[in-house]
Formats: sequence, structure tokens, C-alpha cells
Amino acid sequence: MAAHPAAKAINTQEITDKARRDLLHLLEGVRGKKNLVIEKSLAGTIGLIVKFSTLQEYGVDKPFFLENHNVDSTQRNIIFMVRGEDAKKIRMVAEQIKLIRSESKIDHDFSIIWVPRRTLVSNMVLEEHGVLGEANISELALNFVPMEQDLLSLELEDSFEDLCLRKDPTSIFASAQALMLLQKQYGLFPRILGKGDNAKRLADLLQRMRNEEDVNTAADPNSVHLTSFGLTPSALIENLIVIDRDVDFPTVLSTQLTYEGLIDEVFGIANNNTEVDSSVLGGAAPQSQQNGSTTTPTAATKRKVLLDSSDRLYPELRNANFATVGPALNRIARRLASDNENMHNKDQTVADLKNIVQKLPSYKAESESLKTQTSLAEEIMKVTRSESFGRMLEVQQNLLAGTDPASLHENIEEMIARDAPLSTVLRLLCLESCLANGIRQRDLDQFKRQILQAYGYQHALTLSDLDKMGLLCTRESHRGYLNPISNTAGQTATDWNAVRKSLQLWIDEVQEADPNDVAYVFSGYAPLSIRLVQAILQKSYLHQLVNPKNASSAPGGTGWKGFEDAVSRIRGPSVDVTQKGSDSDASNARKTLRGNKEGPKVSIVFFLGGVTYAEVAALRFISNQLEQSSGRKLVICTTSMLNGKKAVDVAVEQRTFAS
Amino acid sequence: MSKPTTNWERIGDKFYRRIQLYDSVFDPDLELENYTVTSAPYSGAVALRRDDSKIYSYRGTQAAKSTIDIYSCAGKLLRQISWDRGNVKSIGWSEDERLLLVTEDGTVRMYTDLQDDFTPFSLGHGAEEHGVQDCRFWSNGFVALLGNNSVVAVTRYDEPRPQLLASAPPGDVMSWAVIAPEHTSSRAVEVLLAIGSSVYVVDAVECEDRGLEAGPFRHLCVSPNGKFIALYTDDGKVWVISSDFQDRLSEYQSKVKTPPRDLQWCGNNAVVLAWEDELHLVGPNGSFQRFDDYGSFLHLLPDIDGIRVLTNDKCEFLQKVPESVEEVFRIGSKTPSAVLLDAIDQLEQKSPKADDNIQLIRSKLDEAVDGCVRAAGQEYSIHWQKQLLKAASFGKSVLDLYNSDDFVEMTEALRVLNAVRFFEIGLPLSYDQYFQLTPERLIQRLVNRQEYLLALKVSEYLHLPVDRIYVHWARQKVRSSETDEDSICEEIVRKLNGKRGISFEEVARAAYHDGRGKLATELLEHEPRAGKQVPLLLNIGEESIALDKAIESGDTDLVFYVLLNMKKHMPLSSFFRTINSRPIATAIVESSAKDQDQELLKDLYYQDDRRLDGANLLMSEALESSDIGPATDKLKSAAKLLRDSKEYAHQVAAIDDAQRLLRFQEVFEKELNDRYVGLSVNETLSKLIKNGNMKRSQKVQSEFKVSEKTYWWIRLRALVSRRDWKELEEISKGRRSPIGWEPFFNEILGAGNPKVASVFIPKCTNLTPPERIEMWVKCGMVTKAGEEALKAKDRAALEELRTKATGNGMLEIDRMIAQLQKGR
Repeated sequence: MAAHPAAKAINTQEITDKARRDLLHLLEGVRGKKNLVIEKSLAGTIGLIVKFSTLQEYGVDKPFFLENHNVDSTQRNIIFMVRGEDAKKIRMVAEQIKLIRSESKIDHDFSIIWVPRRTLVSNMVLEEHGVLGEANISELALNFVPMEQDLLSLELEDSFEDLCLRKDPTSIFASAQALMLLQKQYGLFPRILGKGDNAKRLADLLQRMRNEEDVNTAADPNSVHLTSFGLTPSALIENLIVIDRDVDFPTVLSTQLTYEGLIDEVFGIANNNTEVDSSVLGGAAPQSQQNGSTTTPTAATKRKVLLDSSDRLYPELRNANFATVGPALNRIARRLASDNENMHNKDQTVADLKNIVQKLPSYKAESESLKTQTSLAEEIMKVTRSESFGRMLEVQQNLLAGTDPASLHENIEEMIARDAPLSTVLRLLCLESCLANGIRQRDLDQFKRQILQAYGYQHALTLSDLDKMGLLCTRESHRGYLNPISNTAGQTATDWNAVRKSLQLWIDEVQEADPNDVAYVFSGYAPLSIRLVQAILQKSYLHQLVNPKNASSAPGGTGWKGFEDAVSRIRGPSVDVTQKGSDSDASNARKTLRGNKEGPKVSIVFFLGGVTYAEVAALRFISNQLEQSSGRKLVICTTSMLNGKKAVDVAVEQRTFAS
Repeated sequence: MSKPTTNWERIGDKFYRRIQLYDSVFDPDLELENYTVTSAPYSGAVALRRDDSKIYSYRGTQAAKSTIDIYSCAGKLLRQISWDRGNVKSIGWSEDERLLLVTEDGTVRMYTDLQDDFTPFSLGHGAEEHGVQDCRFWSNGFVALLGNNSVVAVTRYDEPRPQLLASAPPGDVMSWAVIAPEHTSSRAVEVLLAIGSSVYVVDAVECEDRGLEAGPFRHLCVSPNGKFIALYTDDGKVWVISSDFQDRLSEYQSKVKTPPRDLQWCGNNAVVLAWEDELHLVGPNGSFQRFDDYGSFLHLLPDIDGIRVLTNDKCEFLQKVPESVEEVFRIGSKTPSAVLLDAIDQLEQKSPKADDNIQLIRSKLDEAVDGCVRAAGQEYSIHWQKQLLKAASFGKSVLDLYNSDDFVEMTEALRVLNAVRFFEIGLPLSYDQYFQLTPERLIQRLVNRQEYLLALKVSEYLHLPVDRIYVHWARQKVRSSETDEDSICEEIVRKLNGKRGISFEEVARAAYHDGRGKLATELLEHEPRAGKQVPLLLNIGEESIALDKAIESGDTDLVFYVLLNMKKHMPLSSFFRTINSRPIATAIVESSAKDQDQELLKDLYYQDDRRLDGANLLMSEALESSDIGPATDKLKSAAKLLRDSKEYAHQVAAIDDAQRLLRFQEVFEKELNDRYVGLSVNETLSKLIKNGNMKRSQKVQSEFKVSEKTYWWIRLRALVSRRDWKELEEISKGRRSPIGWEPFFNEILGAGNPKVASVFIPKCTNLTPPERIEMWVKCGMVTKAGEEALKAKDRAALEELRTKATGNGMLEIDRMIAQLQKGR
């Protein structure tokens, strides 16, 4: 256990297991067969922790989506599983219970499982509908869902919309609760660092909850009496770094260039699954190859592909820059081919044979995986090779590198004229606006007019929402821009030109095949969010990168030290809180017990508002470096997975006139 | 000191002991036979209620008043609950000492913490019509049997939801019992009903006849661990069977004429039959013992590891002698622990035999010490506890290595146990009960009895949190104190401040229930948890304080909850005024209203003069309507809203354009008989061109000032998509194009027409020759590419082209290469 103690750091499997146990326990509580009515967005999340066949073993007869309003009355027991924070969904539950009760002849038993908690509003709404007494109510504290060993997500799909557009802080509270649970298990985060208005709010909430927790544990008769002496600083976790999505929109808006990122951009990934046409994966439709792309898409059936570390090849490919995926797949194909040859070698000893038989299952899994990944990569290749993608990328990279945006306007205008997807156009415009703190009034008006003409006047709403989110504004109005949630004065806009230099956000010589810097994930652009993490965890590296000549004066210390100047030029307040145990005796005792053999080992990076796969890849890259150099490790937490399309689509108006 | 074995009785091969816990329990005048008596598990409080069915002598008006009296096991009156309504059918306890009264009409009252305020709920499911016959309670719930043999279960008390179980067959229920959920394989409660000659098992889903034929069964009782069932048949037999009805374990013929009044389990291995003043203890294998020295009417109070027998003048605990005790004290016992105990005796007499004893059990000394420690825990007499611990201590001192944790823990536990067993407290817990009850809940019981000092002492002694005790004290203080509010508040805050984990909310709630709203508000100021402050503040009517607290907490659920409440009770204008200064509240109102209450949103925007938002809302409504007419109206009013102020000029222009476009599209639909409404300007252009309506498209272009570039792009793509090569070739004759000619080449080639595409290659004069060569090659015209290369005098390109060329083309290229060489 001496070699890599970090490996057993935060046991994400444990979280999955607990969630599964809790859920099954709740299902078990309802005797007999039951119909399960589940909120659509929860279904995928639940799918991450338990298989449907297991649910069936626990008596679930038929699943229904709450949104479809089609629950039938075949079973006496009906279980609703819905997020308790969402008044709209609560109302749906109440209405459906009422409906079933009035229509069905049987006397139903209703149960409601609120995720992650039962709320006052839910009680109130149920009471208003007169069904509060009808249902057996319980809660399933499903907070963080492990997507991977090092990636925990709250899977709050709407978190970005809530925070940026609606200014609704629900997901901040949910995050704080989830982090609080981690603290209860692993001890207090000794230090909380962060950047951004919402990060500040989150940090404040965590402080507040700690005080409340003292009373709560005391009030809870089931609490173990050890916890009743308050939390002590964790021995395992070094710090919590909170990155508010507000601080770094450009990274979200940019098209991701890692393999996983591009799968997300091209097909979309939800709950570790992507859906692609079965024709893409071959197998199903061999005849379509002759006709090429002219086959009608009507026959296309979707197939789900699971993308996680259970795949044989995906883990080594997912975080690589897409440019290197083709060669990597080639290499693997060649290796498998030679393996295959060896197997068919005639003169073999019995020992050889035994060896081969042992290898067979893994060989099969690998070639299976190779087939899938190659098909996916080829499909993505079709997109990345297209002229429109190249044009889009050219604009994006130029913007990120700091080229004068005016020279790129013609390109964007042409994209509008050529009816490029609205989200692509908006992403580029928002990117420009974010990087330059707004677009010149005249230019922006011009763009707006073109967009309205090209995509329809209903997008006046889209543009207005983007303005509200601070993604697309005129330069003048941005100056006076104040986040209405924030009550603290901080920088209200980021000075990107200064930050680009002081944190080295652009790297000209990127080594995509053998990366030496996180900039590889965007082929040149190093995400600001990641640089902020590096400013805390890899001070000397970043310092060297920024001042190659003056490498010796690397900053020491912890927290933001050494980069205060750069950080202060980024919008939003900086957070730096040290947490000490309430009972100093207990903390000291712990410290003595622990001795000074080894320091803390895990840093948690929390993205408030969502994280992209490219950022995840970059953080994994850093985590590997840290683990090699000092045995430390990163765990990434987020409210949801995000990409530029999802971010912009929050604002995009889907309706059209008179349809 | 008398030997512990004096009160042992041998039944079969097992010993049972009767421990007198308390004497002179009740007033001798109390006619116990006229009362029903129930006791909370783990030696908890005892509830006495006058049995209405029994006649009693008239004692004046005083006695006629119906009460339920709660006593400690030692007969100390803890509380009197006056009862004036309904016919109480059953009284029961939960394991947290919650008293439950069930009346005939199905009303249940829950009294928590031995207080006299209660929470009522109703059983429903026909309880009112058919009437409750009887109830059976377990640790966390109960089952009620109704007059029509239906069974209603309540499985939790924090939020009781009576649930109708499967229906049982009709017929007289002779006797019945429940198996608690924690003991059944289905983890749901099972009810056993003795009807006719058999026993039926009822749960939520089904009712199953177990097919016993020896009935009717007068008594039916389930053992504390839920594994066995004792049945008393009409012919005087006691049967013990396993609770899955698979094995018959023992049978005992009581040979008495009068059937027993009561049958209960004593622990998990013996059954007690009770008559008026005597009882039979029936052990395994039919062995039994009669106890008839009680002399007065007795009641049985079963517990998890034994049974308490209650008479007017004593409270006795009857249990199987625990193994550890039996090992030490059984006469002639040669176990190491017995020898060790003897050694301490010898030591006290200064006899050298003490050492002999030690040497005798030297190899098993640790076992002996453990045995003595365990036995001490089970012993009620303080003298023998000491003796056993001394022996253990002596044994320990001889051992080189011994882990003393158990010893220390036992001394601590015994100290607590002896303190609470004291008659003034009256909690005669056995060690096993203490272990299952947990120290935390023991302290809760002490607090319920308002033994604050002892509770504090015990908590400190066991290092347990003390906050609950203080809170309980404060609540009591608020309830009972007569002084003015400020000084109460001050006193409470002084006592409680600085203590960790104090919940002021509970104290405030007590104050509120007492009608002291101001005191409650003041106390709430000290509560750290907003989630707890808010609902109470709302109750008190301090809505805006509640809103501020909710916002502070960051919990949107709370904020929303307060807002919903405020909206209900406040005029709209003052509601808006309140949220106006609180951005988060406004955001939440907006975000929720967007989904369900647009009118509210309109009012809000109007009140705040947020015109753009108001206009957007109208626009959104325009999108909702499926007809052009209403949509245009909405757009008009949206424009009207914005027209006054200059800063929205662009938005107004856009809205006007939107209306204009709709009008155009309407005309097109009529004229061309095709769908146009809902398309954007560019899409309209494209569709018009695709359908060959050039004139109209030009009209739209000029009307909406679509730029030439855009128009060209749209036209190009539209023409390509309808494969109008003629028109495209026509365009190629034009002199210049605002988007250059390369897009024409690319789009047309992409559509699969290299011939037409190639027409545009010579027009791309701004490109370099190699690029043009590439274009020619893409069209498959190698010779043309060669000519391009020749023109540019690019030998290398020609060489490369040669490799691609075939047949005639190859010759041509060769010719060109030659020409190039010649030219040099």
C-alpha cells in the first residue's frame, strides 16, 4: 500500500454502491410489483448506478417517463421518482396522481421518491392538490454520481441555464450540500480556493452549512457520537478549488479537440452514453456504403454506445487530441493483427496454446472496441475534414490567439449567409464577445440583423437571452455590467489580453502527439479554468512557462500566491478560506496520530455550472503529472457536463411563428 | 449477603430468576384488576387506564373523571393525561416512549416525550363505521383490527400513513398478534389472526391460511425476536411453533380448567401463563413451574429479555438466568469464573487458597476475567456487582497482558445502570436492554422525566452531547415560566449560548405554541439553521424576516416556499415591493412564473418598468399562437411597449420586420399555394428561388435590404439544390460576383457536377495556379490541369499530373512536358 496511496483516495465506487443500495431499499419498501414513473433527466442518471434488469428484480414492472403523461393503472403500486427542487415537475406528479386516482378503478398505492431531498415546496404543492396524504413519501439523497473514478457529477442538466440565464442559485445550494457530504465523510477541506461570484457564494454556503451541521448532528438521534464533536480538517483532501463557469466562458464556447470532446460535439454524450446511427457503426447496413451519403436518413436507427473506462481502448484514446487518434487506432489495429497472426501460427507448443486461450477474451474485447472506436473516429473525421468545420476552427483559433476580431467578421458573415448551424455562429460571436468584453455596437447590430434575417425573427429572444447571460453584449454596455446576484465588488470584466500573457493562455508550438502542456486539448489554447488550477497546484511549472528567462524566482507558498496579479484581472472575487476544526483538541489529536509522514493527497476541482470534456482531459493530464511528481491526485466534480452547443442552446428559441 | 441463587428456579435444565426491582409500587387502594396496564419497551413508563368494562365502586365525582396515568416502573406518577372523549380501545408505546391512544372511531393520538400535548391522526379505511376492536404495537408502529376483520397498519410515526392490509376472512378473531417488520422475511409487518380453528397470516398483499387445525386458539403471542409463536388451545395446551409455521417446537398440557387470562413470552425461551394472582412459567420441552406467591392481582409487562410482573406492592423481573451469571453462581460450578470469584472470597479471608485457585485456572484466567465482567453486568445486586468486578480486577492483576476496555466499559455502564435503577428514577434496565436502547435514548428518557441533572451527569460521564438536555430544559422553561418574556429570553440565551449544537428553533417553537410570538421571534434570532427558522417565522407572520433568512441560507427551496406563502397572503403590489429589493427572490419568482404564470410576470415587468422583458414576453406569446392574426397583434403591442424609448430602436425595427415578413409570407402562401409562414427571410428567399420565383425573391431582398453577398450565397445554394445547371452557367457569364467564383465551383462540384463546376475555374483569377490545377484535377480534367501548369511553367506539377493521367491524357501531358523543355 506504500506505492500509490492516492489510488485509494476518494472511493467513487462507494458512492455508487451507496446510492444503489438506498434506491433498492426504497423500492423494496413497496411490496409487490410496481410501476415506476421517472423524470426523464433522472432516468439516465439512475442508469449510471443501477441496471434496469436489477430494478426489475426489485419488482419494477414498467417504467414510464413523467413527461409523457402516460402512466397506466396496471399495477396497484405506483412509484414516482422526481427531483424535488423543481416546482414544475412536482406539479406534474400531483396532477398525475389526481388523474390516476379519479380514472382508475383500483385503489392505488402511491409512493414518491424525491431526489435528492424532500422540499417544503413539494409538500406545499402536493397539499394544494390534495394528494399529500395519498402518497408514501421518501427521499433518495442522490448527489454526486460518479461518471468515472476521478469524475463526479451532480447531473443537474439545467445548472448552467439556472445560474447564467435565470440567476437562480438552486444548483449552488445543491453543490454545497453535495460537497458537505464529502466533507462529512472525508473531513473538512483544509482550504477552499475559488474564483468567481458564484464560487464565493458556494464558499460562504459551505461555511454556513458547517455551522448548521453542528446543530443538525446534535438534533439527529441516530448520529454516531464521534461526529458530534464537529468536523476536523481532512487528512486526505488538500484543498477544494471552485471554478465558477462565469469566469471562463471562452473555454466552453470553443470547439473541443480531444477525442472525447469531439464525440460530445458531433454526437453528444449524455450519462456516459452517446447515440449514433447504427449505420455509423457498420454491421447493420452494409448496402449503404455503395450509395454513399445519399441514402435517406429515414431508415436510420439510433444505437447507444457506452463510453467509459470499461471499454478496452477508450480510456487511452479519450483524452488525446483528435489529430493523434487516427494513428493510435492504426497502431492498435496493427498490433491486434499481429496477435491474430501469432494465434494462427501452426507450430505451437501446448504452453503457447494455453497462453493464447487466456488472451482470447481480451483479444475479442479489444477488436470489438477497435471496430467501434474506428467507426466513431471515421465519422468524426468526416466532420472535421469538412470545409465548414475548418472555417469555423480558423475563426475560433484566431480569436483565442488574440487576433483582431474585425478581420474575422467576414468569415462569420459568410457562415451566416451559408446557413451554418445557428449554434455554431452564436458560439463564435459569443466567443468574440467574451474575449473582447463585448462587440462594437455597429458590428453587433449588423450581426444581429443578419442572424434575425437568416434564422428568423424569433431569435430576437435568443439574442436577448444571450445578452442577459453576458455572452453576447455590446462593448459599451459591458462596461457597466454588474452581475445581479453578486453582492461583492470584484472585477466585473476580465482583461483577456493581459491574462493571455500573464497565464500563457496561447501556446504556439503544441505537441499534440506527446503533449507537454494542457494547451494540447484545444491545439494551442490553454483553458483559463485549467490555468487557474495550475496557478494553485503547479506554481513553478506555470511560472516557468510565463517567464522562461526568469525561471529561478518561482513563487513558493500556497493558495493564489504568486499569481495574485493575474487572478485579480479576471472577473469575480477570488476565494481563499482556511478551515480549521471547531474542536482544536480533536484536530490536534488527529494531527499527532497522522504524524508528518505524508501530506494530504487529493485536490478537488469543482466546476460550478458545468465542465467540458476537454477540460476534464486537461485536468487528467495535470493529475498524471502531479501523481508522478508528488503522489498527489485530482478529483473533478461538476454540476453537469457542458459544451458550447449546450451552453448556447440554453438561449436559443426553439419555436417559430405560427407553427 | 444472600447468594444470588436464592431467587433462582430450575425449570427443565434451565434456571430462571425472579428479581424484585421495587416494592410498594402502587397505593394499596388501587384496584389493579380494574385497569389495563401497558409498558413502554426497555423498562419504560407504564400507562394505567381504568377499564371501562369493569364495574367499580362509586367513590364520588373525583374518581369518575377518566384519566390515563403514566407511572415509572417504581410507581412514581410521571404524568396524568385527562381523557374526555371517545372510547379508548387500545393503548400502546413505541420504543422511543411515544404513547399512542386509539379510540373506537379510529382516532389516534400520539403523545411524545411523556408530555400532555399530542398529535392526532385518523386511521380511516372504514375505522369509523366498523370501529376499532384492538391494536397490537411494535417498536415503531402498530396494527389495528377493525370490527369487520380488516386490518390497518401504521408503520411510521413521524408521518403516519395508515395502510389497509389484505382482507381476512370473516369470523370471530379469538386472538391475534403481529410480527414486527424487522423480524419478517418480507420486511413488512405480518399479522397473525386466529379465526376458527386455524391461524391466518395477513400482510399488505395477501391473506394466507396456515392450515392449523387444533384451534380455536385462545391466546397467540409472538416471541420478542419474532422467531417463535406461542399458542394456547381451547383444551388447555400451550404450543410453541416457529414463526414460519414449519416446526412445532414444544407442547405443554396445562391441565387447568380456567383458561389463563394472559399469555406472554418471557425472553425468547419461555412462555408465561397468567391467571388472577398466579402464573405458570413454561420452559422448553414442556417443563414448567408455578408461581403463586404474589397474593394480589398481577399484570405482565413483557420486554425483550424477560418479563416484568407488576402487582400492587411489587415490581418483579422474571428472566432466564443469563449464561454468564449461571456459570459463576450455579452451585457446584467449576467454571473458571466461578473459581475466580471464590478466589476473591478466600483473599478477603486472607486464606492462601486464593492463590491455589488462581493456579488452578491459570491457563484460562483471561476467560475467567471476561466471565466475571459479563456476569457483573447482568447482576442487579450492587454487592455482587462489586464482588464480581473485584474478582475480575484481581484476575487482571495476575495476567501479564489483558485488554481492559471491556472492564472499563462495564464499570461505566453499571454506574449508569445503578443510577437509573434507583427507585426515584425508576428505569430498571437490564444490561441487554441498556445495550439495545443505547445511552443516547436513555438520556432522552431521563430528559422526558425532567431529570435534567442526572441526564447531564450521565452525558458528561459517557462523553455524550448535552445540547438536547439544555434544549428540553429551555422548552420546559418557556412553557412553565411566568416571568416576562425578556427575562426568560435572557436567561435561556445566557444558559444556552456558547454550547455547541443548540437548536433554538425547538425552544422558539415551544414559545410559539404557548402563544408567545415575540419571544419566539427573539429566540429564533439565535438559531443557526435557516431551514428551521423560516417555517416558524412564517407561522408567526414575520414574512419579510423569513424571506431574508431564507435568502441568507442560500436554499432556494426555502426562498420559494416563503414566496409562495407571501403571494397567497399579500396583495400583489406589496408582494412585488417586497421582492423588488431582493434580486434572488425576483429571479426565483421570474424563473418559476416563466413556466406557469405569465400574467404574474407581465405584472412584475410592468411594475418594475422592465420594458424589454415585457416585450420579450409578448413576443414569446406571439410564438405560442398558431395563427398569424393574434401573433401579429402580440407583436404590435410588443413594439408599442418599446417604441417610446430610443435605446430599443433596433428591437423595434426587428419586431416591425417580423410583422412585415409575416405579411409577405401570407401573400406568398395565397399566391403560390405553398407554406411560407414561419420561415426566416433567408429561408423565404431560398424557397422562392428554388421554386423559380426570381422576381418575388428580388422583391424580398430589396424590401429587407438583404446584402448582395448573402443574396448570392442563397441563390447559389438554392440553384444547386434544385440542380438548375442552366441558370448557373448563365450566371457564370457574369463579370463579377460579390462572393467570388470559388464558392460556385465548390458547391457545384459538391453536388456532383464537375462539368458545370469546371466552368468556374478560369474565373477564379485570384487563386494561385497550383490551386487551380488542383481544382481541375478534382473535376477529373487532367489535360486542363496540364494546360494550367504549362501556363504557369510548373514542370514538377506536370510530372505529378502525368502519374495521374491515363490514355490520351498521358500523351497530352507528355507533349506539354516536351513543350516546356523546348521552351527553355
